[in-house]
Amino acid sequence: MTTAEESPGTASLRLLAAGERELQRIVLDMHDGPVQDLFAAMSHLQLLERELAAQPEAQRRTQQSIHLLERALGEIRTLIGVFRPPGFERRDLGAILEGLVVQHEALTDQSVDLTLDPALGDCPLPTKIALYRILQEALANSHRHAAATRQTVTVERTGAQFALTVSDDGRGFESRRVLAAEADVGVEGGHFGLRGIQDRVGMLGGTFTIESAPGRGTTLRVTLPAA
Amino acid sequence: MTIRICLADDHAIVLEGLRALVDGEPDMTVVGATTDGDAVEALVRRESPDVLVLDYELGGRRAPEVIQTLRQGEQVPRILILTAYHDGETIRSALESGAEGLALKTASPQQTLSAIRQVMAGQLVFPQAARRWLEARQASRSDEVTAREREVWGLIAEGLTNVQIAERLALSENTVKFHVQHLFQKLGVKNRTEAALRHATSGRVPRGPTTG
Repeated sequence: MTTAEESPGTASLRLLAAGERELQRIVLDMHDGPVQDLFAAMSHLQLLERELAAQPEAQRRTQQSIHLLERALGEIRTLIGVFRPPGFERRDLGAILEGLVVQHEALTDQSVDLTLDPALGDCPLPTKIALYRILQEALANSHRHAAATRQTVTVERTGAQFALTVSDDGRGFESRRVLAAEADVGVEGGHFGLRGIQDRVGMLGGTFTIESAPGRGTTLRVTLPAA
Repeated sequence: MTIRICLADDHAIVLEGLRALVDGEPDMTVVGATTDGDAVEALVRRESPDVLVLDYELGGRRAPEVIQTLRQGEQVPRILILTAYHDGETIRSALESGAEGLALKTASPQQTLSAIRQVMAGQLVFPQAARRWLEARQASRSDEVTAREREVWGLIAEGLTNVQIAERLALSENTVKFHVQHLFQKLGVKNRTEAALRHATSGRVPRGPTTG
């Protein structure tokens, strides 16, 4: 089949995978360049800072520089965590979702109860990418906005579909209003948000529901065809 | 006591920075460093350091592979893996490789120094989240006994204590405890006697190849 004959759906799915490969390249560039340079620079500065004990003003400036670099590295750590694809083509669905949950816990100190269907198996690349990015967004939302202390994630495979459920005990929100407000957020809107989750689900022919109300936590449910 | 350290990182600038920082500490000294992944084993053999700080990706070689080869040597240092990635997969493979700890290049090098002291003191230095995940994972896949756990299992069956196993395998006692704990979970046994009994009836080879 040539490109011209592809259905729009197939082309979108192919772009999705290509996008992940591009992210991989960007993260690798960040890893090989800035991360190494910043880490090395901080090593030197920390040594210098100690040697400047007799010059308080110079020592203070050095400490300030160290803090700035530390902050920059911290931001890179988050970016790498968010954008680095987890080896979609190498590892099965269960492994990448477990890895994501661990990473989220390590970054946020939030606790996540993860239950994976033992018969989860593997799935086509676009579905795997979608489930990963949706879970990532759901966990991040709950951390960023909901002030949740506890999150529960279950992933099941029932017949011909995957079902992902993410619940938290956070402050909840008026889902209808938030979805409406995100409706016209374009690519430049910056992050995927609930609209992004809906778009991913829509592209793969799945379903998406969100139950939330102020003070009552949030439950997000997504189903996607397994093949 | 001065902690004798070897550094292995394929980024020369990182090596230079870390070396200067470590040498500036009163209780540490760098006894050797390399940017060449293939030279790590020879370096460790020559210098017998207390701690090896090992880049997760060293040229074409990954830390778990290097550690596996090191394990076949006489003297195995405590190993601290240095990486920019803190995803579950990296943490898991670092844990399973038998390394004593993980330090991040996206955190302050000061934390690397702290981690060196901690592994030297016999602690395992991994994010708390990773341990919970590892235990849960191993409980849910109870049939996956790693080669290293099988090795520990065989020695438990011979009646060795954790300290003796640690000596025999050139591991820290904490690492052995860690393996024992996971082995018990996987086997669904409560104590060493049950584990030994299971070993006798399992028909497994007591000591497989040392693959971590």
